[in-house]
Amino acid sequence: MTMCFETVAALRSKLTAGEISSVELTSDALARIADLNPELNAVIASSEEQAIEAAMRADEARRDGNNNPLLGIPMLHKDIFCTQNLPTTCASKMLADFMAPYDATVVRRLDQAGMVMLGKCNMDEFAMGSSNETSYFGACKNPWNTSRVPGGSSGGSASAVAAGLAPLATGTDTGGSIRQPAALCGITGLKPTYGRVSRYGMVAFASSMDQAGPMARTAEDCALVLEAMAGGDPLDSTCSEKPVPNYAQHLSDAVTGMRVGIPKEFFSSDLNPEVATAIETALKELEGMGVKLVDVSLPSTSLGVSTYYIIAPAEASANLSRYDGVRYGYRCENPTDLQDLYLRSRSQGFGDEVKRRILIGAFTLSAASYDQYFMKAQQVRRMIAQEYDDVLSKVDVIAGPSAPNSAFLLNDTSKSITDMYMEDVFTIGANLAGLPAMSVPAGLANDLPVGMQLIGRRFGEVDILKLAHQFQQRTTWHNLTPPLKERS
Amino acid sequence: MVVSRFSPDLAGSTVTQTTTVRDVADLARLIIADSDVAKVTEEFNQTLTLFEALTIVNTDGIEPMVNPCTESQPLRTDNVETLVNREGLMQNAPASEQNYFLVPRVID
Repeated sequence: MTMCFETVAALRSKLTAGEISSVELTSDALARIADLNPELNAVIASSEEQAIEAAMRADEARRDGNNNPLLGIPMLHKDIFCTQNLPTTCASKMLADFMAPYDATVVRRLDQAGMVMLGKCNMDEFAMGSSNETSYFGACKNPWNTSRVPGGSSGGSASAVAAGLAPLATGTDTGGSIRQPAALCGITGLKPTYGRVSRYGMVAFASSMDQAGPMARTAEDCALVLEAMAGGDPLDSTCSEKPVPNYAQHLSDAVTGMRVGIPKEFFSSDLNPEVATAIETALKELEGMGVKLVDVSLPSTSLGVSTYYIIAPAEASANLSRYDGVRYGYRCENPTDLQDLYLRSRSQGFGDEVKRRILIGAFTLSAASYDQYFMKAQQVRRMIAQEYDDVLSKVDVIAGPSAPNSAFLLNDTSKSITDMYMEDVFTIGANLAGLPAMSVPAGLANDLPVGMQLIGRRFGEVDILKLAHQFQQRTTWHNLTPPLKERS
Repeated sequence: MVVSRFSPDLAGSTVTQTTTVRDVADLARLIIADSDVAKVTEEFNQTLTLFEALTIVNTDGIEPMVNPCTESQPLRTDNVETLVNREGLMQNAPASEQNYFLVPRVID
């Protein structure tokens, strides 16, 4: 296996030049999944037969003159996207046997672009978690150190790309679920602007923040794939009709003179000192690119976690009310009446973290608590969004750490529930405000990857992508690979 | 087991919310086993403590933000379209008969 750590862009060149075929590439990726996945548990469903067939179709299309940039390149989907030909479980017992009757728009678009789906990735149950430990199918491991978490909720996608199981995986990000695992696994991940990518067929968690995006080795790969994923969709009324730029074409646009804001609140005592050192070094590198660093303030940063953990569970409690054991999903054995069916199906079908969030959401939405919690959080959300807009009227991009720590230990009992929620402290602002944000490999702390976060203006993906790309032309952090031992 | 939080309201006085996690679970159609009530209550309280940071924020006159959309949502022509076939939807039904979902008897 020689191609496992190649980028989408490099594989595209090899495919175009006829040096490799999609079938060879797909076979190699499937072999690597078979070799490494038993240890990582990053992939929870795959079909060798379907993948090889798709690769054969791609090779045939290429022979017929199709030169789509993503044609024949293998990839993985987070198991939150509906796929007609593989189960869609959201890593929950509730959906363990669910076969979607349609493909998500993201799945359909990447399929139409000729990408080859290898399988579906592990995740936190219903995308609720920052460690991938809440999966019904067991925790996923970080390939850099398999006693550590890959982050979450898109932990399987991050682990798979970092381990070279695929050059690309899709993820979703409601409070940092693309950026935090990308940071912890040393890959590049992009959460687009809310409304840039269709949410149709993406199992809903918190509908006002959920957004799908690419997870890959480089910003260039994210640019290539985002272009194929993005754009208006009549099946999602929150999806913007704005034209989708040719992101890759703008990667080399000048960054000299760009103003990058550094929020002082992102360098608070919550930040691990070694992570801070890595980020400070990365920021100096940006300065070396001709970027002007500007001190800025986002004073409500510390309120973001409270705000998010009111709004997201409230939306989740409403969204997950559909799992009632009647139309699809898990149904308990021998229900005595309809209430018993609802109660036991939901109680047996959901895991602890999902139930915890549903309870919080039901509480904050209840008549007695609505104003004090839910309404208040929505007001603070506007304050936070306004702070971001104000800062981004003075700078082009905001930069800082993606996560306060590098990958932490699996089953870390010293971490309380709220400690775990604090892992999202630097990422949730972009979700509350609906802004595009990326995590870019930016160093190591205790031999574990550190991610730098870049947050852009609404629909300003070009700004963060070109900054990330040019950073990656000067640094090699994104080229580091984990010290995995192949079994074969 | 009682969940009790004391939080200043917007005017600075104190309001008391007392409810049980069982009441909340009932709203959410979830069962909490007797053996789990203490743990669930403790975790619930931990999370509510996290929320207390918001109580001191002055949000007078601030419009709640429901979502981050900045564009008006497009309306399509009101034409009926069939997007998903019935068989595809029914294949996931835990119990069905003649394209209807089966549930325990509701009316005797």
